Amino acid sequence: MVDIEDLIDVNRAVQSKRIFWDPEIYELELERIFGRCWLFLTHEGLIPNYGDFALAKMAEDNVIVCRQKDGSLRAFINSCTHRGNQVCHAESGNARSFVCNYHGWVYGTDGTLINVPLEQRCHAMVDKSTRGLPQIRVESYGGFVYGCFAADAPSLKDYLGDFAWYLDTWMIGAGNGVELLGPPTKSILDCNWKVPTENFVGDAYHVGWTHAAALTVLGGELAGLSGNSADMPYDDLGLQVTTRHGHGFGYIDRAGSAVHFDRQSYDKFLAAQKPKVVAKLGLARGRMFDGHWNCSLFPNNSFLYGTNTFKVWHPLGPRRIEVWTWTIVHKDMDASLKQQIQKGATFSFGTAGLLEADDGDNMVTCTTSNAGRHTRQGDMVSTMGINNEGPHPEYPGIVGSSFIGETSYRGFYRFYKEVMAATDWAAIRAKDADWDAIWTNREYWRNRGSAA
Amino acid sequence: MSTSNLQPVASGIETSRVERECLSAIEQHYYYEARLLQNDQYREWLEQIVADDIHYWMPVYEQRFARDKRPSPTPNDAAVFNDDFAMLKMRVDRLYTGQVWMEDPPSRIRYLLTNIEAYHTQRDDEYQVFCNFAIHRHRRQDQHYVHVGGREDLLRRSGAGFRLARRKIILDARVVQDKNLYFFP
Repeated sequence: MVDIEDLIDVNRAVQSKRIFWDPEIYELELERIFGRCWLFLTHEGLIPNYGDFALAKMAEDNVIVCRQKDGSLRAFINSCTHRGNQVCHAESGNARSFVCNYHGWVYGTDGTLINVPLEQRCHAMVDKSTRGLPQIRVESYGGFVYGCFAADAPSLKDYLGDFAWYLDTWMIGAGNGVELLGPPTKSILDCNWKVPTENFVGDAYHVGWTHAAALTVLGGELAGLSGNSADMPYDDLGLQVTTRHGHGFGYIDRAGSAVHFDRQSYDKFLAAQKPKVVAKLGLARGRMFDGHWNCSLFPNNSFLYGTNTFKVWHPLGPRRIEVWTWTIVHKDMDASLKQQIQKGATFSFGTAGLLEADDGDNMVTCTTSNAGRHTRQGDMVSTMGINNEGPHPEYPGIVGSSFIGETSYRGFYRFYKEVMAATDWAAIRAKDADWDAIWTNREYWRNRGSAA
Repeated sequence: MSTSNLQPVASGIETSRVERECLSAIEQHYYYEARLLQNDQYREWLEQIVADDIHYWMPVYEQRFARDKRPSPTPNDAAVFNDDFAMLKMRVDRLYTGQVWMEDPPSRIRYLLTNIEAYHTQRDDEYQVFCNFAIHRHRRQDQHYVHVGGREDLLRRSGAGFRLARRKIILDARVVQDKNLYFFP
């Protein structure tokens, strides 16, 4: 029996180490988190035409996403309703139907069962109208396609909430928006899915130490962080933000291209677009357009805008994940700049990337150390910058003052606890008005402003 | 999509096998290269093995239906490695910063190279060379990863030895069974 009260203390910003290890916690996560939240499937641009499909995963469930004749998208479970065999094994392609390899049952691009071999002679009892592939809610935002198992979940837009206001900065702010370049690279990490998610949601702290070697070699704006040796005004270089449903990010001013080995033409593109973003969305967001963002969209979708790597951490049990990585590019970039961004993002956060290679060991042993019974009785802290955060006059959500802080960790685990304890989405909605009550320093930004 | 360009007959390339003596020299060169990499002699590897105009490439092969007519990946598509000399040098330089915690204590890597075939090309001083590899990484107390695949190389004669001008690496696993591929397959 999992009692979430024993695991997460949101006021003290403390989490039990058991959340990275225990199978019964993971089972509850599959039900209450992956069974309820919007999970990343694909990008609209990767399946533009009728019959285009992509395989996706929603935790350990295999899913097919397919473009319909009317241009809409459908998603359905990739498992035959006869004996459960996987219906489609190609990762992407174009199909007019999906034929099960086992007995040849045929499903349409909308997932309905359209043909059963020898139906009249041998299988007349099957009611084809009730044996389609189970449908999943599918919605998209800025071209990014998400699926949800829960009928009572809010719309994707409402689920994103204030996070969408921020994402608009680069998802729709410049020209025709962004797209993903695939196919994704895929690799295995023997870690709990929350370790990389929490890292991306709010861990600028590790950058100077974990990535010291890569930053030394890459140079650029962030090289000063290497080895934590620089005397930097951490409090004035960026922000951390958390929102209603645990989505959050850290942001560093004007550091957008910092991790790319080839920055010049990318910087030129960002500089040319920035005034247009300011004109379209206002200064508050426009000024963030050429910043670097480390983001996690609850529960398991992380991305770095600027570096432009886009990842999903698919859980395979409590102690293993499959990492899928795409590259984010602006649609309006010319082909050569898109290729350069893809090369740069791969060079930093691809499977053989300079920074990717730094992170893996940490994520694995943050998990595997907890094999020790006494070790996992311990807890973990994410208290950095606590109270130096609050509601902001310009920026929605809860805003922390330093890009090196753990505001968005606290927000991630606040919602983690809420959704794990909730009986259903109605219980979560009931707390919409005072979701941010744990952040008690309500006047932080006003006081800070008047002191400046 | 097929990776069948690992077949000896590749477009635009003369397919005559090199002489026994030349093949032997190429094999010895490959084993020497592997030994440099096994001994963490990455600078020596760059200096002695890699040509200035190297293209070091590991494309991403999506699993698609056999009927799927989309073209094979090019260097303009997604890749795990897609490096020129300067990028390879950054990878190597990183390993000498003294800040790569993952390699301290150092891991062990061992290259098992087989099926080495070498062919003349249209240029007298260049050879197309195919080989298979099984690369074993042992790390920490008990981590053991095996990476199996093939290389399609362009070797260029340089003095008494050879330089690597192109390396296309085909990793057979679609999902890399390792936390990263930060080595030189």
